[in-house]
Amino acid sequence: MASRKAEKEQRRQARLEAEQAEAGEQRRKKLLTLVGATVLAAVLVVVVLIAVNQSGDSGGGDASSIDADIPVIGTVDSLDQQGLAIGDPAAKVTISEFGDLQCPICKQFSETVVPELLAKSGPVGAGEAQLEFQQFVIIGPESTDAAKAAFAASEQGRYWQFIEIFYANQGTENSGYVTDDFLTGVAEAAGVGDIDAWNQSRADPKWDAILSRTQSDAAKAGFNGTPSVLVTGPGGKKILGSVPDADAIAQAVDDVS
Amino acid sequence: MSETRLRTALAVLALIGLGIATYLTVVHYDGGDPICLAGGHGCATVQKSDYAEMAGLPVPVIGLFGYLTLLAAAALPGDRGRILGLFAALVGFGFSIYLTYLELFVIDAICHWCVGSAVVMTLTLIVALTRALRFTGMSPTPAGRMPAAD
Repeated sequence: MASRKAEKEQRRQARLEAEQAEAGEQRRKKLLTLVGATVLAAVLVVVVLIAVNQSGDSGGGDASSIDADIPVIGTVDSLDQQGLAIGDPAAKVTISEFGDLQCPICKQFSETVVPELLAKSGPVGAGEAQLEFQQFVIIGPESTDAAKAAFAASEQGRYWQFIEIFYANQGTENSGYVTDDFLTGVAEAAGVGDIDAWNQSRADPKWDAILSRTQSDAAKAGFNGTPSVLVTGPGGKKILGSVPDADAIAQAVDDVS
Repeated sequence: MSETRLRTALAVLALIGLGIATYLTVVHYDGGDPICLAGGHGCATVQKSDYAEMAGLPVPVIGLFGYLTLLAAAALPGDRGRILGLFAALVGFGFSIYLTYLELFVIDAICHWCVGSAVVMTLTLIVALTRALRFTGMSPTPAGRMPAAD
């Protein structure tokens, strides 16, 4: 009697264990299917999000079609240039933009803020300040090539034309677009008259010292992004940091005048 | 750890992320610069970059949708909540990796708010993955009555 009861209990236990194992197996299958499908769907969505985000990246960087038809060039042509600075040499205030020619935000800055600064109503156009572009190379070797080409253009008084036309034709960072052909196209469009002299100048190692001094000046100012702006004048200096607007710069010019 | 605790952790993380995304969205539409918590000006650089908008929609708004979805997943019991949470966390984590790559290698500026959001998203993925792997296929238990699985 007792052994029959024990046998029955054993069978019940075995059935329960089999049911549990079956339930566990079913859960594992469901888990694999659901989690696997979720991971696949998530990867697809991330790929679509990245593609949409990348589609906002503008083209440019085409050596065969340099666009020199930029509204600000007329204003640049009408202002004095000395070395890296544009504006009245008698101005007591200097606005220093620390930028990288490959930086897309600097391009945006050159198209929106710089024209306001150079306009007759802006601090540079009104003769209150000079604007200088410091080559703060942070993106890659192509930025160094571009910076040296701009320096070489400055020796022919075309530094700011070179910068503005470079930005108007800027390509994707470190994509290999900053070739000799591209730089020559920008220099010609910027009005650099003696291309041979410009070629010799941009190969001159003297620019390395200027680039490294700019790096240390930027570090002293605490800059970690481009474009960053420093305004200096008889009343002291103002560090405005990354991407200030024209009003903030004009206010800083007033503050240090 | 019980599923209730994991759901609570998910909700807390989603609320922190919502706070970050809301702040960045408000700053975006205000036209100002985000306050960089650790100094520097990387936040403004990132916020004004070409990559800060997607098809006209600011990236922080995408973050808002993501964190709201995670909050809904935390509130939903059963497999629906588990899988929705895992899906949103995976998408958020993957997109955060991409955005961090952009900051480091393309935009060359670091936004501490974005780093904060990426950290929250990473923790969210750990919580959502744990919830999905340990509880998917099990019957839902109302909040507060879930027995500890360990």
